[in-house]
Amino acid sequence: MLTSRKAAAALTAALTAAGLTACSDDEPDDGRTHITVTIDAGLEQDAIDAFNTRIEQFEDANPDIAVETQEYTWTAGTFTAQLAGGTLPDVFVVPFTDGRGLIERGQIADIGDLTAALPYREDYNPNIAAAGEDPEGDMWAIPISAYGQGLHYNRTLFEAAGLDPDAPPTTWAEIRAAAATISEETGEAGYAVMTNDNTGGWILTTVVNALGGRTDDGTAATIDTPQMREALADLQAMRWDDASMGDNFLYDWGTINQEFASGRIGMYVSGGGNYGNLFTQNALNPDDYGLTVLPLADSPDAGVLGGGTLSAVSPNAEAAEQDAAVKWIDFYYMEKLTVQEAAVADAEVKAETGQPVGAPELPVFDKATYDEVQTWIAEYVNVPVDQMAPYTSQVFDQPLLNEPVHATQEVYAVLDTVVQTVLTEEDADVDALLAQAQADAQAAIDAAA
Amino acid sequence: MNATGRSSAADRGLLAPTDRKRPSVRWSTRLAHGALLAVLAVAGLGPMLWLLKAATTPTQDTLRTPMSLWPNGFDFANLVEAWTRVEIDKYFLNTIALAAGSWAVQLLVAATGGYALAVLRPRLGRLISGAVLATLFVPSVVLLVPLYLTVLDPPLIGTSMLNTFWAVWLPAGASAFNVLLMQRFFANLPREIFEAARVDGAGPYRLFWSIVLPMSRPIIGVVSVFAVIASWKDFLWPMLVLPDPDLQPLSVRLPILQQFVELDVFLAALAISSLIPIALFLVFQRMFLSGASLGGAVKG
Amino acid sequence: MTSTDTRPAGVTGDRARPRTAARPGRRGPLARARGGLPTLVFLAPMLIVFGAFSWLPIGRAVVMSFQRTNLVADPVWVGFANFQQVFADPQLWTAVQNTAYFAVLALLFGYPIPLVAAILMSEVRRFRGLFSALAYLPVVVPPVVAVLLWKLFYDAGEDGVFNTVLGWAGLGPYAWLQDADIVMPSLVLEATWAAAGGTVIIYLAALTGVDPSLYEAAEIDGAGVWRKLWHITLPQLRGILLVTFILQIIGTAQVFLEPFLFTDGGPANRTLTLLLLIYRYAFTNSLGGDYGAAAALSLLLALVLTAFSVLYFRLTRSWSGS
Repeated sequence: MLTSRKAAAALTAALTAAGLTACSDDEPDDGRTHITVTIDAGLEQDAIDAFNTRIEQFEDANPDIAVETQEYTWTAGTFTAQLAGGTLPDVFVVPFTDGRGLIERGQIADIGDLTAALPYREDYNPNIAAAGEDPEGDMWAIPISAYGQGLHYNRTLFEAAGLDPDAPPTTWAEIRAAAATISEETGEAGYAVMTNDNTGGWILTTVVNALGGRTDDGTAATIDTPQMREALADLQAMRWDDASMGDNFLYDWGTINQEFASGRIGMYVSGGGNYGNLFTQNALNPDDYGLTVLPLADSPDAGVLGGGTLSAVSPNAEAAEQDAAVKWIDFYYMEKLTVQEAAVADAEVKAETGQPVGAPELPVFDKATYDEVQTWIAEYVNVPVDQMAPYTSQVFDQPLLNEPVHATQEVYAVLDTVVQTVLTEEDADVDALLAQAQADAQAAIDAAA
Repeated sequence: MNATGRSSAADRGLLAPTDRKRPSVRWSTRLAHGALLAVLAVAGLGPMLWLLKAATTPTQDTLRTPMSLWPNGFDFANLVEAWTRVEIDKYFLNTIALAAGSWAVQLLVAATGGYALAVLRPRLGRLISGAVLATLFVPSVVLLVPLYLTVLDPPLIGTSMLNTFWAVWLPAGASAFNVLLMQRFFANLPREIFEAARVDGAGPYRLFWSIVLPMSRPIIGVVSVFAVIASWKDFLWPMLVLPDPDLQPLSVRLPILQQFVELDVFLAALAISSLIPIALFLVFQRMFLSGASLGGAVKG
Repeated sequence: MTSTDTRPAGVTGDRARPRTAARPGRRGPLARARGGLPTLVFLAPMLIVFGAFSWLPIGRAVVMSFQRTNLVADPVWVGFANFQQVFADPQLWTAVQNTAYFAVLALLFGYPIPLVAAILMSEVRRFRGLFSALAYLPVVVPPVVAVLLWKLFYDAGEDGVFNTVLGWAGLGPYAWLQDADIVMPSLVLEATWAAAGGTVIIYLAALTGVDPSLYEAAEIDGAGVWRKLWHITLPQLRGILLVTFILQIIGTAQVFLEPFLFTDGGPANRTLTLLLLIYRYAFTNSLGGDYGAAAALSLLLALVLTAFSVLYFRLTRSWSGS
């Protein structure tokens, strides 16, 4: 009986220990400031090694800081709970759209003083800096990259369909024609769109912007516009008349990348810098990849929707940790944009471990700085730059638009329904759909105000 | 009913022996059973067999000719890759850890609670029993949000339980069904044994540990089976309280994995994840099925 | 208050209380322990766990439904505002319709089929174990695995698994999850596949428990197979049938996994169920979680289900003899 009691006690102790070790770890007391930084989920071992190498370089240069990694992907819904539960890493990245809301609600650390001391603080492109600033102009979150939307296409499928991969479509009509040809000749989906998880609205807004329209006018929702109808009519034509969009329509950002990388989609619209994800996380064959700009309508309002990534610090971080966090952000994300040594070091590590170097981005500061960086890392560039030339040679001339400011994600969610309905119901009543979407979007904007 | 009648009666159900002798009944029964067996085999075995096949087939073959049998040969590398690179082993261990802890907590709560209510019978026993029974009628949806907030900010404990296994183990114990099962079982145990034990000088602890528990193996088995199965199936709750990928069990991790793992490796991961429950089922079939039917009998 | 022996059992035993055993009585043999420390010790785990993770949260749900919480600041009392917001949400009506549709379809597929199968299986002489094992196998497969696997089966292209198999019979490729009209039946099909086995086993156990003498008596009166089925088998099963019916309703009303993993409520909210809506209120709101609305909707759903159950039991008490 005593032995069984001991066994029971031991079991309890073991379970407790197991439970507690799964708890937040107490920081070891070695005099260093400990910070946790975010690392993307699902990376290949090479990418993880590259990241760890950079951490070592940072710790060498800053012996009083220790860096641990935490796999973390920012999701809107669980963020507040994780904040309350204290399980956020100290440094994490958020998209531009969500940054503004976080700053408004004070849900990230106010590092305005620390960022003001950064040497390049004034060099930011004002549009891009605004994404991370509070109303007083203090920078709470540091923009670390920016991109513009583009049209990704599969060169191999183009060739198989008899199209010239070096002459991608330059108008929406050409896109539609190319999609029809691809699906006829190869049986794969010629054109695909994201539809789920707010990405449907995001891409629809992108296309509407490229046609010269907007989804809000700064204060109210403007869903039912000629450009919106044109975008939807195009989709309907491709889906039901040409049958060039394949058979599956429930795509979000990750799954459409996956499908494209496995060669089952001819063209799709997404952020211009996707090559990284396609290559590292979805095993894209580089020879398949092509990138071109979105066709812009002949209208002064037509523009390319831009986006980007902010790096933020958890409000749970103490002052010393915030300081260390900003140093890390500066080292890992920013230095390679301004300092030659850092850019080369970063490119070198990435190239050695087979990570993509030179994927297209938009300048965070100004074009001149961006071009300079490109020359520094020229020898390490391992992405097929020629195949991306249609994009890189034209995107800088396209007007860059910011995402809508009010209730962005909620309006996207409303538009998700519109896109999904158009793609899954053959005789969708577009008038009714748009009327409903207008009402819902306006309600969302009102609720967020 | 004489003895002969009994023995043949126990052998029969709806169809009488005379019914079975009639050719129309016999053949239609055989046909129906054959058809049923075919349907069960296809419906029950089919998907799992396909999964096994697809787990050892390269992605392109699965996509292009899903029903063909290994056109390009086996691909065991999928399974190896799922286990190592995709780290199914880690999530597997998490699943087991969660199941073990949930099982322990459930057993502890139900056995001690059922014992107290059925054998020790405290003064407020009926009230407590009623309060426990009442939770059976509250749909679990009600608990979702407040339980989540409780995990974030537990009473008395300083830190949140988010990203700890306790957030899954402890709420699992609040199963009124288990308590009722145990309570009924204990209440049906013969009182004479308790009396005899008491006369021998056993106190309540001794009685529990040395008398009641050993006699309760069947019900412990049933509750254990339910507990482990429920834990293995749990999806929403672990997804909410274990956002850290290192702690997630298979059920939470697999849908996320699909985003960045090739199809063939993913299918291998699915196959591995289902192997253990199926193997357990095949080995412990009798306990599973008796538990499943007992559950029905108790509910009825 | 009875004197309590606080020394651990096994050390002193109950030497001090020999007379209690001889006393006749209404109370249990360990009467002295009522309200005593050992009882408390045994009750403690259950009371703590239920208190913290069942009773308190239920109370908290009621409180939260009248508050606005954002986890950082203190909750604010807003009266019925959460309920009004829920009722004003157009998605609520969609969710109610979809959930009802799912429940009805699930009943149509999942209620009679297991019964038929169980009745057939109860007449199997040999290999009944094989039948049972095959029927129960889908229940053992982890639900997430089952859904992800079926998601693949439901691929809408010509080379999707189901489309290929149906193609052998000349039936055209179906859009399954991409088609607004058949997406819900597709979900119900998988859900039924995964759950029917459990119901079959329950029915089978009940069927084998039917007293054969009832059948014998009926045969003496000249009853054929169908009459026996209708007048004996089914009435004998009445209790279990009624219980599985209500349990199925309560279960399908709270369906979450299938809509979430298959289609995330789509396409165009055609598979948005009440649980999924509650989840969205609480955990996908980019403003940080509308826990008050989620609690309010959970309570509403729970009240409806409870009212339904009570009504159901009242009605069926008059039907079932026992």
